[in-house]
Formats: sequence, C-alpha cells, structure tokens
Amino acid sequence: MFKLASLSSSLGKLTLSSLNNYKNAPLVRCLSVSVPQRGLMEFFDDEKNWGATEVKSGRSWKKEELRLKSNTDLHKLWYVLLKERNMLLTMEQEANDQTQLFPSPERLDKVEESMENLEAVVRERNVAYHQLERGETGERPGRVRTGPFGLKSYHKMCQYLIPQHLNKKHRETHEEYRPNKDTEDFLLKYREKLYLTKKRKQRRNFNHVIGLLNRFPNMDMQALKEQYPDVDIEKAKASRRHRGHFVPK
Amino acid sequence: MRLTQFLLSKVGKYSKDYSNLPDRYIKRAMEQVEWRNPKGIQYKPNAVAKRTKYKFAMHRPWTSQFREENAPGVHHAKVFVEPIRKWSFFRGDRVEILAGKDKGKQGIVKQIIQERNWVTVEGLNCVLEKVGERKGFEGAYLQVEKPLLVTEQVALVDPSDLQATPFEWRFTEDGEEVRVSTRTGRIIPVPATAEETIDYKTKGTYKEQPKDTAANDVTQITFEPKLQTFEMDVMNSMGIKEDRVPPKYYWY
Repeated sequence: MFKLASLSSSLGKLTLSSLNNYKNAPLVRCLSVSVPQRGLMEFFDDEKNWGATEVKSGRSWKKEELRLKSNTDLHKLWYVLLKERNMLLTMEQEANDQTQLFPSPERLDKVEESMENLEAVVRERNVAYHQLERGETGERPGRVRTGPFGLKSYHKMCQYLIPQHLNKKHRETHEEYRPNKDTEDFLLKYREKLYLTKKRKQRRNFNHVIGLLNRFPNMDMQALKEQYPDVDIEKAKASRRHRGHFVPK
Repeated sequence: MRLTQFLLSKVGKYSKDYSNLPDRYIKRAMEQVEWRNPKGIQYKPNAVAKRTKYKFAMHRPWTSQFREENAPGVHHAKVFVEPIRKWSFFRGDRVEILAGKDKGKQGIVKQIIQERNWVTVEGLNCVLEKVGERKGFEGAYLQVEKPLLVTEQVALVDPSDLQATPFEWRFTEDGEEVRVSTRTGRIIPVPATAEETIDYKTKGTYKEQPKDTAANDVTQITFEPKLQTFEMDVMNSMGIKEDRVPPKYYWY
C-alpha cells in the first residue's frame, strides 16, 4: 500500500495509533502529555540533516484520509504539523542567515497543505453540525458590499456589541455608496477599461489562432476549438492573413 | 486565484509528475512578484504585478536555471505550441524518431516537457555541448539529448512487430482507455515507468521516510459521528467545562 504522509514530532516516530493510547481520561488535561525532550532544540531539525542537500519526505495528508480520523486525532495531528512547520521555518531562517541552501523547501508546502486540508475537514464537520441543529452554516457571514468608489467587493462581517444604526464610528468609517457625478464618471471609464481589456484578449487569441493555423496546417481542430472557445475558427481561416496573397479558387 | 490556476495550467501534468513535488511548491518556486501594493487604504488593496508569460524550455520551473532564464526584465519571443487534446507519450515508451540525424532509430522516452509538446529520447538526437570552459581549462564536452516534437518528430512503436505506427485512444470492454495501434489493432500498453518518480520506482516499492505516518495508521478509521462540533468534542475529551454565556452581538 502506498500511504504516507509527512508527520513529525519530538518523540521520533510518533504515529496516530500511539497517540490514541493517551486518550484515557479527562485527568490527562492536568498532565502535560508531550515531554520536552530536546527543549529549544525542538525548533531545529535533526542534526544529521544539517547541511544536507536533500531531505526526503512523503506527501501531504489528503482530505479523504483526514475525514477518517476522530476529532481528538485531528487536534493532535494539528499540533504535530504546527511543530513541524515551526521547525521548518526556523531552519529556513537559519539557512538564510548563514547564506546556505535550505534543503527540500517543498516540505514546508507539504506541511502547510496538510494544515489547510485539516482545517477544511474540521470546518466541514462544524458546518454539518450547525446545519443540522440551527439550519445555518455557523461560518463567519459576509456579503457583497459596494464601496465608496462604487466597486463591489466581498465584505467579511464582524461582531459588534451594538447594532449598526447606533454605531456612529462604524458609520463614519464604512461609508455606503452614494451615486454622484464623480463616481459615475469614474465607473464609466473603469468599465470601458475592463471592456477594452476583454476585447484586446479576444483579438490577441484570434491572432494567435491565425498564427497556429499558418504554422500547423494539419492541427487537430477539435483541440484548437477547446483551447480557444471564444475564437471563431471559420472566421480565422477566412482571414486574409491566413490564406495569403492569392484569390482562393 | 484565477491567475494561479492560469499559471499552473501552463506547467503540464506530465512534466511535473516525475519530480513528485506539490503544485503549491512549484507555484511558489516559479512566481516572480514585481510589485505588491502596501497594506492600508488603497484603490486596489490586493493589487500584485506578477510575471505572467514564462519561457518553458528544458529547465524545469522549480530550478534556478529556469529562474535565470526568466529573470525579471528578460523577455522572450512568442512560441507557438500546437494544441493537443490528450497527451499520449509517457516515460518509458518505445518510440521511433522521424526527423533529425537519428531518423529511423528507436529509443525510450526519458523526459517529457508537456508545455512545449517535447520529449527527449534516451541516447538519441544528441549534440555535444562544451561546458566549464575557463582560463587554463579548455572545457569538457557533454552529450546532451535534444527535445523532439511529439506531433511530428516521433511515433509510437507497435509492441507486436516493433514498427512505428499511428495510434488512437479507445475504450476496452472494461471501460479502460488504452492506446491502440491503428495498423495492427494491438494495444500499446502504458509502461510501468510512467508512474516512476524521483522518490520511488513504483508506488508499491516506496521506502518510508522517518517522518512518514505508516500506511496502516493512515487508513485506520477512528472517526465516530457525534452530535457535537469539533470544539465541543475536544473540550469534552479534555474535560474542559464551559458555562459562560456569550453576550448578544450583531454581525455587520
């Protein structure tokens, strides 16, 4: 079986099954489970990896694997990953300070990807609970807000102790959009700019397709159509630049 | 987000498979930020000016040579790449060369550069390149394999008669998509070397590293459905009691 994931700890090879043994009782809360074995040196990599050109590692945890794990396991795994990330960031900083090469920088991405996946799985579980119990996601709400320049953006809402109509300071700093001549002039030009960018892109693609047709006459037309869906290929073929300087028979 | 998808879509799947690197790293390694808007109130708060057009050649996007080739301020002439619907040449395939000085010879595909529709064939279509020339040393010659276009310069070899053949992708009765030689009707199997990466020959023979979680531990199911949020469950298992009532608040 090919199942591996990057996971590390100060206790050497600490796997999830060995983590499960600590799941005894609430009493554990008073006792610190993790033993500080190497003290501050836990922020540094294993000494045999110092100055190495490459440090081999497995791949990151996938969402479908994390979905199999209990909440307690995920909680523990999070701290294992966090410690690993701290270690890698420290090593990267140290390598930069000493103007040396940080071996296998992709380890950092593997750990961060695992952490993102773990967070996504936890969020999924919480959303399922809130949907079932309260009929809402329980996530931080947001809405599309029109800013003072008339441009729309997604606004992540915040918690306040008083309602919005009583919050004078918030009203002052978060102005609602009121159409006036200046913003309307601006928006007209802004939309024109967007439109022209779109048109330019279409024209660029059209010209590129003509270039492709000239260079590769036996090209797969289906593939061309899939890659450039906004280009009228018949029109490109009929173009003077494609057929050259002669009258077709 | 759209830009990153666009960037990553340009590095072909088959050119990065062998390296076994995460996409996230490849993106980070090839990214070149020319300008990022400072934090604070801005007309466009998150505006970033990044390099969007890269030159893809023999150097892989995460290498320093690629970075050198695409250094800030360096611009390249546009390259026209023929669109292909489905990639059909894999590492370890036996191919016949249809052009160049080794025309008619057969060899094994060694490297794939999907962004340019290129493959290199082991020991064929080589040139001698002089390296390390400096004062007091006249340099050494290296034999370097030059790339070949998959669309016109190589052809797959039929395993039944070891002759070059045109082929098609067809479905077997089991619903598996296979390459079929249109001359003899024989299946051209995808070689086992296609799944090889720099870290392992086949997935089954991967040697576990000291920090890897064992395969059994990964597949072990410890999840039990409970009518609790993640935080409630963890607090329960750790014996944390929370009876404070949060104040009434408003979202806006």
